[in-house]
Amino acid sequence: MRYQIVIAGFGGQGVVFLVKVLSICASKRGYKFLGTENHGMSQRGGSVSSHIKIGDFHNPLIDFSQADLLIGLDKDEALLNLPYLKKDGKVVVNAESFPKIDAEVFAVDANALAEKGIFDAKGLNVFMLGITLAKIKDFPFSTQEVKEAIKEINPKFAAKNFEILDKAIEYAKNI
Amino acid sequence: MKLTLMGNEAIAWGLIHSNTQMVSGYPGTPSSEILTTVQKIKDSKNLPVYAQWATNEKVGFEVAYAGAIAGVNAAATMKQVGLNVASDALMSASFIGNKGAFVLIVADDPGFNSSQTEQDSREFARFARIPVLDPATPAEAYEFTKLASEISKKFEIPVMLRSVMRVSHSREIVEIDDNFEFKEQKGNFQRDIPRWAAVPREGRLKQAYEQLERIEAIKKYNYENLIKSKIDKLKGTKNLIISSGAAYGYAKEVVDELNLDVDILKIDMPYPLPDELKELVKNYEKVLVVEETYPVIEEELRSENVFGRMSGHIHLVDEMNKERVLEAYKKIGFYEGENIYKPYFKVEDVNQRKPNLCPGCPHRDVFFAIKKVFRPKKSIYPSDIGCYTLGINLEAIDTVLCMGASVSMAHGLSIADKEKTVIATIGDSTFFHGGIPPLINAVYQKAKFILVILDNSTVAMTGRQTTPERENPQVDLKKVAEGCGAEVMEYFYKPDINETIEFFKKVKKRYQEIDKPLVVISRQYCVLDKERAKDFLPGIFATVDEEKCVACDVCTTQFVCPPMHYNERGKIEIDPLLCIGCGVCISGICPTDAFIPRREK
Repeated sequence: MRYQIVIAGFGGQGVVFLVKVLSICASKRGYKFLGTENHGMSQRGGSVSSHIKIGDFHNPLIDFSQADLLIGLDKDEALLNLPYLKKDGKVVVNAESFPKIDAEVFAVDANALAEKGIFDAKGLNVFMLGITLAKIKDFPFSTQEVKEAIKEINPKFAAKNFEILDKAIEYAKNI
Repeated sequence: MKLTLMGNEAIAWGLIHSNTQMVSGYPGTPSSEILTTVQKIKDSKNLPVYAQWATNEKVGFEVAYAGAIAGVNAAATMKQVGLNVASDALMSASFIGNKGAFVLIVADDPGFNSSQTEQDSREFARFARIPVLDPATPAEAYEFTKLASEISKKFEIPVMLRSVMRVSHSREIVEIDDNFEFKEQKGNFQRDIPRWAAVPREGRLKQAYEQLERIEAIKKYNYENLIKSKIDKLKGTKNLIISSGAAYGYAKEVVDELNLDVDILKIDMPYPLPDELKELVKNYEKVLVVEETYPVIEEELRSENVFGRMSGHIHLVDEMNKERVLEAYKKIGFYEGENIYKPYFKVEDVNQRKPNLCPGCPHRDVFFAIKKVFRPKKSIYPSDIGCYTLGINLEAIDTVLCMGASVSMAHGLSIADKEKTVIATIGDSTFFHGGIPPLINAVYQKAKFILVILDNSTVAMTGRQTTPERENPQVDLKKVAEGCGAEVMEYFYKPDINETIEFFKKVKKRYQEIDKPLVVISRQYCVLDKERAKDFLPGIFATVDEEKCVACDVCTTQFVCPPMHYNERGKIEIDPLLCIGCGVCISGICPTDAFIPRREK
């Protein structure tokens, strides 16, 4: 089992939270993993990309052409992180539209959905994880495992996050 | 027990599990979570552990080191540039040694992710002649912390645990000790004047010889305990890779992914290295040293068949990655195939996010007002290290050197360039860290400049650690600055740009009347500070009246708030998901008053 994921976004979007969720999922499965965060200098609004490598690895950094999956919480940040994606990799991105590339791309305009009040914008990261669960067939974890990890990180907000996750999965049926 | 831990959290557990009873340090990325985690574990388990932030790294080092002299296990944490500040204490401590364990934890930042220099702290260990351990992953960081403590106690010497960003800020499953019971040690300082206060020369000389003997003994320890069994397992191929720390991860993955027929040896303690390693190198045709960031092992092993940075086989600056390692293998002839790490997808032409102050950050208004009142052509803006350094985006910062230097540089610049007004900025934590001695210096020499202390009562950049004034209001910035002899003006920040500008006009007037440093304390808050921000943010969210917007760029080039950007119609638009509701843009940033309050649905 070897699976490499890049999560790209900017400060305030909850990139690091997703790494925590996936790390816990991996550890519960008994998979080895290494993850790391790449912060920009800024606190909120600056680029943040995170890498997580599941399987037998020795360093946490994903190299170019290696990622199986790119989750983009922002369109520009996803475009900037494309070099990490392998040929025929998969992209889940928060964008109205995305260029045609040699990869399976699932684009959702989550910002617009949040503005419409479909879900709380603070849960954008969880919403995009829901889209990933619904659309990425070789994604290594199940919805149930993701929920358990979310609950482990913060039981207080778990119910709200589950709601967003389920909404995303439901929404993904129409993409 | 298995836990999913970040490297820094693993180090904290390592400290607790080696009965470390005193931990001190100064926050700095990527090291900050070590002490924070010790505090959390201590609180949750109610342990008799001292774990506090110090005003700077030298102070933190010395407080903890004193504990180790009195016989308790202690540690100090900092980032690599912090060790520059604490290095004075380190050089002497390495002569004198300790009774309880003393672990010096330093987190390096290869690739300048959040630091002014790259630096390899292993060089400092070699300089100070103390052993250094170099973990490669969070799990190793946990083990090596315990080992560092053990070695320190055994040899009565400070031991450095050198981490890097890719260890400190990476996550892994870590197996930690079950059923650990913390054993409290009672400090008992044993008077030993020739050791703890070895002056004059004779005492020092004796310690210098002891230092050399000790380092020889640790070399033997390194070989027997950490290297020998690994050498025994080598296959005896033609070529050898020697690596340590996070660099090993890259080196090993590339060897595995390219199926290279080379031996690879991981060094856990890169200094001091045993002579047996020099002997081993002779058995191989070529030896490549893969280490981050300076050629420490390579210099120690220097020989005609040893290659690395000094021989031009490995890049000299910036973080390592597998593509760079592959290039090195190619250069030295370990590999002849293609580069499997070449990007398949190219970076699309998109806007890169520049580092910027957070939406709603009060520093932005202060910088904006300073520039309005003290025009850039007639002023110099020295600044310092902290989140406010991002004021560079507003072009309100001219110099950044090191912690506290804004004050001394303001002094120097006021002497060198008398035609201009020097108006320096510094955060409250940085002022306490390194700004006080230069302020005293400036007052005593009757310098003339303005120093603006941006007081948000937190160390915002590194994760909002507490500051002296926050923990205990008796440490009063205003009194401290007055005590230094400066004149002080205080501003209680309001999210209204005209109020801030009016205040700085008063500052300008007062500055013209006096003949000494004028300190301005701007009492603010940090928008990420959950305890306080909600009391200060008015919740006035902005939008744009497109008919009024004339695309003059004032908001995007002079105010530079992250939610503001041009839309496809060439008008400014505010990203509603990023706007935090400070309302400052509505208060008078726009020359045509195009910012208006947004009606909530």
